Amino acid sequence: MTEPAFASDPTARLEAAYRAIHAERMHGIPIVNPALGVAAVGFADWEGRWLGVLVTPWCMNLMLVPRDPAAWRPLAVGAKRRYALPAGEFEFIGGEDPAIGEYQMCSLFSPMERFGDMETAVLTAKLALEAALAPAQAERQAAEPRPLEKLARAVEAPMSKRDFLRGSFLPGVDRR
Amino acid sequence: MSETYYECMRKQGITRRSFLKFCSLTAASLGLGAQGAQQIAHALETKPRTPVIWLHGLECTCCTESFIRSAHPLVGDVVLSMISLDYDDTLMAAAGDQVEQALEDTIKKFKGNYILAVEGNPPIGDDGIYCIPGGKPFVEKLKHAAKDALAVIAWGSCASWGCVQAAKPNPTTAVPIDKVIKDKPIIKVPGCPPIPEVMTGVVTYFLTFGRVPELDIQGRPKMFYGQRIHDKCYRRPHFDAGQFVERFDDAGARMGYCLYKVGCKGPTTYNACSAIRWNDGLSFPIQSGHGCIGCSEDAFWDKGGFYEHLTTVRPLGTAGIEGTADQIGGTLAAVAGVAIAAHAAASAIKQARSKTRNDLTSVPEKKVE
Repeated sequence: MTEPAFASDPTARLEAAYRAIHAERMHGIPIVNPALGVAAVGFADWEGRWLGVLVTPWCMNLMLVPRDPAAWRPLAVGAKRRYALPAGEFEFIGGEDPAIGEYQMCSLFSPMERFGDMETAVLTAKLALEAALAPAQAERQAAEPRPLEKLARAVEAPMSKRDFLRGSFLPGVDRR
Repeated sequence: MSETYYECMRKQGITRRSFLKFCSLTAASLGLGAQGAQQIAHALETKPRTPVIWLHGLECTCCTESFIRSAHPLVGDVVLSMISLDYDDTLMAAAGDQVEQALEDTIKKFKGNYILAVEGNPPIGDDGIYCIPGGKPFVEKLKHAAKDALAVIAWGSCASWGCVQAAKPNPTTAVPIDKVIKDKPIIKVPGCPPIPEVMTGVVTYFLTFGRVPELDIQGRPKMFYGQRIHDKCYRRPHFDAGQFVERFDDAGARMGYCLYKVGCKGPTTYNACSAIRWNDGLSFPIQSGHGCIGCSEDAFWDKGGFYEHLTTVRPLGTAGIEGTADQIGGTLAAVAGVAIAAHAAASAIKQARSKTRNDLTSVPEKKVE
């Protein structure tokens, strides 16, 4: 069942859930890095969803969790969807856990064997989130507009049946 | 040399409609989009055909089997019509002396302008007597054909790493082709076999852009081998949540949990199976309930049992953490400083980002001319 969206900052809830996973399910797994702990880094609003980076001793992921129910498009566990972040398109995979609710993740690092301490892992998480949200590709995108992608986004936006049949998602269709 | 790919395809009875469809399918598999399709079409219409010589050493022909079963039958037809014409001892119609003559003719006629694709590898023990095609050791044939090649493609794990015939104790001293070809660019396309879309993608990229795609330090095209199976695995949320299959057919297996504990090598294997998948995108080993055996990694036969779980995660000879084998080695710790963390973060974001046309085509690349 779909969990209610997090209206408030999900940091504490995520950290508690992954600390429990660390202590229980991941216990004794050799690829868990003993130098690291769990942290939810930089969760903030991104287009009506919480976007941040989850750091655990076995993975570091970009993570999307629901904030505004209207902005949340559910994704089946294991299904994939691309999101256009400022730095480019990122493919997220759907997940769900009783303690976490619905979420969507995009792997940055896993396993985490190269991180010597938590301080560095959290710093890397912060910088990675900054990089994902920085329009590094802006000039390229401007030089090379991708009309098909725009169209795809326009088609996926919510619209009435009437608008759909009128083709309101097509550029300039209103003039017809 | 005046014949273009397009003319050559038309001669093979491929319609213009099919040709354009091939261009868009290939552009899609390379992540190049609609403009990429036009670019491929234009290149194939105007550039003279680059012949391909396809040699077979010690191997099982699974690379060829994979290639000729490229997801869309059209892709196989089109690419084969471009490449099988010159020399491929499995696919060509000629036999016996004719075959050896065809090889010599192609080498002579297209000197310095053909691609050498190698499936399998040369056993160099006992003067190469363990693989004797056409009455001569394969290693000699390989060196001979490589001498005047424009570039070399190493198909599969045999040519790239050695594979099963090079597994301990390697009785024939089978070696990867880069041990005997030292002076040519070699594109390694490992896998046992490689994914067909990856094979056609690599060939078409080379033919279209006239250069080797960007390679990692191990010589693999980054566009297909830049990430681990683990990074794009649809079961990845179960790994992150500590939900593992403990035994085949347990409740976790039925729930589609992560296969790490039953031997999955996804966390150390660089390949595109979890993104492109197999059989026209239908499935891949993990999706059918079996862990990845790591068939595209160096020496995968000698890395312990397929059902033993990984205890260490750094692939041999690499230092990759963020999905490439290219990064500076060592452990990231606070003493390493912000710059190193920033580099790691930026690389991770670059790797995680879906490839754009620019990523694939604006690579400052050593030109193969």
